[in-house]
Amino acid sequence: MSAPTTQFDAIVIGAGLTGGWAAKELTQRGLRTLVLDAGRNVSPVLDAKEHVAAFEMPFRGLGDRVAQDARQPVQQRSVSYDEISRRFWTDDVDNPYSTSETRRFDWFRARQVGGKSIIWGRQVYRMSDLDFEANAKEGIGVDWPIRYADLAPWYDHVEKFIGVSGQAEGLAQLPDGQFLPPMELNVVEQHVRDRIAARYGRERVLTIGRVAILTAMHEGRAACHYCGPCQRGCSTRSYYSSINSTLPAAQATGRMTLRPFSIVRSLRYDARSRRVTGVRVIDANSGVEHAYTAKLVFLCASALESARILLNSTSTAFPDGLANSSGQVGRNVMDHIKWGGASGVIDGFDDRTTLGARPNGIYVPRFRNVRERHPDFVRGYGFQGGAGRSGWGAAANAPGIGIAFKARLTTPGPWTMNFGGYGEMLPRETNRATVHPTLKDRWGVPSLHVEAEWSANELAIHKDMNVTAAELLEAAGARTIRGAATGPSTPGGANHEMGTARMGRDPRTSVLNGHNQAWDAPNLFVTDGACMTSSGCQNPSLTYMALTARAVAHAVEALRRRDI
Amino acid sequence: MERREFLEWLVATGGIASLSRLGLHDLESIGREAHASVAQAPVLDAHASALVTAAAERIIPATATPGATQAGVTRFIETMLSGWYPAPDRERFVRGLAMLDERSRAVGGRDFLAMAVSDQEIVLQQFDDEVTALRTTSPTQASAHWFAMLKYLTVWGYCTSEVGMRETLRSWPPPMRYAGNVAVAR
Repeated sequence: MSAPTTQFDAIVIGAGLTGGWAAKELTQRGLRTLVLDAGRNVSPVLDAKEHVAAFEMPFRGLGDRVAQDARQPVQQRSVSYDEISRRFWTDDVDNPYSTSETRRFDWFRARQVGGKSIIWGRQVYRMSDLDFEANAKEGIGVDWPIRYADLAPWYDHVEKFIGVSGQAEGLAQLPDGQFLPPMELNVVEQHVRDRIAARYGRERVLTIGRVAILTAMHEGRAACHYCGPCQRGCSTRSYYSSINSTLPAAQATGRMTLRPFSIVRSLRYDARSRRVTGVRVIDANSGVEHAYTAKLVFLCASALESARILLNSTSTAFPDGLANSSGQVGRNVMDHIKWGGASGVIDGFDDRTTLGARPNGIYVPRFRNVRERHPDFVRGYGFQGGAGRSGWGAAANAPGIGIAFKARLTTPGPWTMNFGGYGEMLPRETNRATVHPTLKDRWGVPSLHVEAEWSANELAIHKDMNVTAAELLEAAGARTIRGAATGPSTPGGANHEMGTARMGRDPRTSVLNGHNQAWDAPNLFVTDGACMTSSGCQNPSLTYMALTARAVAHAVEALRRRDI
Repeated sequence: MERREFLEWLVATGGIASLSRLGLHDLESIGREAHASVAQAPVLDAHASALVTAAAERIIPATATPGATQAGVTRFIETMLSGWYPAPDRERFVRGLAMLDERSRAVGGRDFLAMAVSDQEIVLQQFDDEVTALRTTSPTQASAHWFAMLKYLTVWGYCTSEVGMRETLRSWPPPMRYAGNVAVAR
């Protein structure tokens, strides 16, 4: 018999974006919940460093290159990694993984209470039935077991609590949500929006990004003050992170026990009852193993970590990993393909500029394969980007020295409008994470080997991004239009990895049912990005959060009915 | 579209982009002792340090607002050389700096520091012209040129210094609000 302090109604693995939601919903429904995170505790206020000036940083914002190359060769590739935010990313030496020589996969990871919700991009978009029906219509992967109507009330629920600023547009492919006032498009973005509307009507629409950042006081949290670098934390708790929002709500119930420095080695499974009985945890500081038991387990460790935990949880009943009778755990790794698009110079606004740093850009919702069928690819992409004037960084390489050169540093450059695409990736079983035969992390837990590559469909999408971005810029009257010349991003590079324990309608071909419940263990729920059946082209976090809240409601009801 | 530019527009980070980073090491080849390779000793001796200070002040002189010297640019460059750049870049910079005296003697018959300010400007302008010419023929070589490094570090060090941000660029403190359509300050 275990000691009372090791028994809980529910265990949530991971205190990040979805773990925070699981914790809030479980505790508010009366369940005594243990929340485990592999990393340290983070204070939303004391650990926020967003107002550290460049002149206060040892390397003035260029980062501690030597330490970064030694400890974070992968993490430093992320767009939101910087000299200050680097402490919110994992140490690659302690947490290794492997890829093949020729197929690089960027795995951006965070291990602390708050997880990647501290450093995410905060863009939040609903998926629609265009997304939920696509696999079935096209015979790709497996069918989603849910449709938009199943998730819509849960999108509402999540948006109302976290606070999402955005502009309603009435587009079927990108449903509107519960919006706080939108952030402001700047003068050139408004011009570009109007010119695009004149050319394309409602087919191609430019709108302000929808972000989980407050534009008004909301749920006891203050509105954004436009200082800029959200990835360093936010002392006014103005953006959604679990530490800013859902974990405090869970804490307030008095039913949450938060245990940082708790690395889940594996889940324990009882073949007789066909239930997960609890977790085996390694204390990250002492190395001592502990066991905790619960009636419900929510796996919210991030798509690849959750797959890793399942694959490392082997037993006689599941020699290939827990909940893996379908063989689908670790497969169907998806991300979004990036780095297609274009930029151009907009004349006529040289006496205008912006004030403050808006932590948001523009969004152009998907317009390919919405009404007409594109000959070269299925699915589509959205654009993010914005307009701005270059500053001293661009002037640094200009010719000259002395007084005239110094004056250039303070003279704003031309207005440049940029569109960068985020394209849908199709699920393929060959894009796969497996347990590495020998590689282990610092705590002796077997690491992952990840194999993922783009298909012809994604590459065709990437190619099309340059074409249509240039069309948008032409419509806007831009000059010096330049298409992206970088080639596609690396898989994983969008930090939207997902799909490794997909939902479906059939236990033979999917890991989870329509309520994120493992077919093989009904008291186990996986609600992070692992559950995704297809990727859409929208930033996916909002969908993960809505699915988490929905799954908790189902789990608690089932528990009350004694169905679990 | 340059990747740097692309990132600038996608992520509003208060104007701090990143310098081009080094080739990334293979993950499994990284040892835990990698920190040991950091150069800790000062890279610039007294003469080299004086050369950097004088050249940086010629690149960004004091006007109605402070120049590179008052912004402490030399200290920043020393930090970057001793704790940021890998050895080949560091050595190329130090070798290049020695050419400053060589060229000064060829042009004006004396060492750089012994020259009049206007003559120092002429010498530096020659190096700048060389970098500018390289930018069209070989951008990679241009960026690797020691003078391009000096100029870039001078600009970065100045524009991220307290006096540079507060007095010249007026980028600090942040306004703590957003307005998408304001007149350019004159």
